Amino acid sequence: MKRNEFIKRLKAGLKGMPQDDIAEIVADYEEHFDAGAADGRSEEEVAAALGNPVRLARELRFEAGFRNWESARSPSSAWSAILAFMGLATIDILILLPIVLPIIGVVFGLFVAVLAIFVSGGFVLIVGPFNGFPGGWLVAILAGLGMMSASVAAGALLTLMWFGRLHYRVIEPAIHAED
Amino acid sequence: MSEIEIQLKKGVLGLCVLALLSRGDSYAYEIASRMADAVDMGEGTIYPLMRRMQSEGLVTTYLEESPSGPPRKYYRITDTGRERLAEQVGDWRTFTAAVNGLILGSEAPMKEGETSHEA
Repeated sequence: MKRNEFIKRLKAGLKGMPQDDIAEIVADYEEHFDAGAADGRSEEEVAAALGNPVRLARELRFEAGFRNWESARSPSSAWSAILAFMGLATIDILILLPIVLPIIGVVFGLFVAVLAIFVSGGFVLIVGPFNGFPGGWLVAILAGLGMMSASVAAGALLTLMWFGRLHYRVIEPAIHAED
Repeated sequence: MSEIEIQLKKGVLGLCVLALLSRGDSYAYEIASRMADAVDMGEGTIYPLMRRMQSEGLVTTYLEESPSGPPRKYYRITDTGRERLAEQVGDWRTFTAAVNGLILGSEAPMKEGETSHEA
């Protein structure tokens, strides 16, 4: 392994530690390579004598008191992380349900209203001209078209909001889990 | 290397570093290469160890110009470090004496019994 590769793997393994600590540790190992070079040893030799950078990073992080579950990516730790995540998501949903339900109701109502406006617009458009709509047949057609397009716009806006909320609700447990 | 060897070496690594530093300040590369000869551990393990000893207040660091390249980080043993070293040397002597006694005892199990009868 070359010097750059060693430092790169070490840095990757240290991810999550404070920037200052990472800089200090990397400087230590860079100094080691410098001293090794002054000693007439090749980069590969020094890297081999240092040992596995990923394991060293884990040890360094352990010394710093960091318990990052990513550092021990064993199946059991991944499984417990998933279980914890699911538990958190369940609690989130239970707590959020009373808040979310009225919102869902309101949004659903708005959707129904939008649909009704669309249908009645169509009704005005088709039936209005033949039934003496006030203002004449042209006004009826235009009014019908206007109502329909307004409802389509409102529907699109609602869908967009709904979509945004969905994203938020998917992301939200992840934000909680990182605390 | 067997498991017992690894654990033993890990345990005494700190003691060895403190012993080295008690005879004069040094930088990690030098400590590591001297340790690697004597104790046969990966040179890289010196850095987690030095960081822990620093956070425990056993050693302090300072930068000093090196004849080649950028300044080096030197380690100096503190008073707390010297106390810890004395403590650990004592523990080590007691421990090795006890283990030696047991090992010798198992090699010649009857001998000790006979001498205690005579005494």
